[in-house]
Amino acid sequence: MSSKKKVALGADGTTDQMRGKTMENTTLTPEKDSSGLADAIDRILDKGLVINADITINVAGVELLGIKIRAALASFETAAKYGLEFPSGTSLETAAWKEAMIEKEECPQCGKRVEREELLNIACPWCGWESAKAKKRKKAGVKVEV
Amino acid sequence: MVILRPEETGLKELLDRVLDKGVTVDASVRVDLGSIDLLGAKAHIILASFKTAEKIGLDFPEGTNLNTPAWQDLTTKQPCPVCGMESREDELKEEGCPWCGWNYRPNER
Repeated sequence: MSSKKKVALGADGTTDQMRGKTMENTTLTPEKDSSGLADAIDRILDKGLVINADITINVAGVELLGIKIRAALASFETAAKYGLEFPSGTSLETAAWKEAMIEKEECPQCGKRVEREELLNIACPWCGWESAKAKKRKKAGVKVEV
Repeated sequence: MVILRPEETGLKELLDRVLDKGVTVDASVRVDLGSIDLLGAKAHIILASFKTAEKIGLDFPEGTNLNTPAWQDLTTKQPCPVCGMESREDELKEEGCPWCGWNYRPNER
């Protein structure tokens, strides 16, 4: 309870402060509709879901059946990132797998998935959104090549 | 963990919460007939996101490679309290959020 309050107060204070100073005219609101089933599925697949279950069934005091489930549910990209095993025969040498290993992030403005380093250090190649870090670097005159 | 993202409501927030906190179901059923133990079932089920599962030490399926960089990111990255984008915890605290510019100690800089 108390920690909740603290964070809320702190964040309020900083947003006010930021409106005047660092934020300028940038808004970090995704244009995509952020509700709905599609988004929920996106979320689950992106975060990954672990389902572990131990089930035993006894009949007349004798253990008859035991089930042990260790399941992980995730998108291909997440599964590859976390090193989950794929069914035997899956070729992990295709270009798509190599791309899946590159860390990506959703652009806060247009919602496109872009390479994290590029989005953070340069700008979004789709809509031109720039992060606070990129702006700071630009101001300081540092050029970054990715 | 409190994440402040004002636009997030409804299903998405609910799902985030459920995945982050994890869900456990512990159930046992016993059927007796007279004084004879006839049928019994026990179930322990747990459901959580990868991040939570790693934190609380759940088993992953056999063959999972637990040495990929993504596993380390789970423990070193934190979401920004304003924009919710993830970045390294030390960077977030020392230099501020690289995404939106939020700073933990704005007066010192």
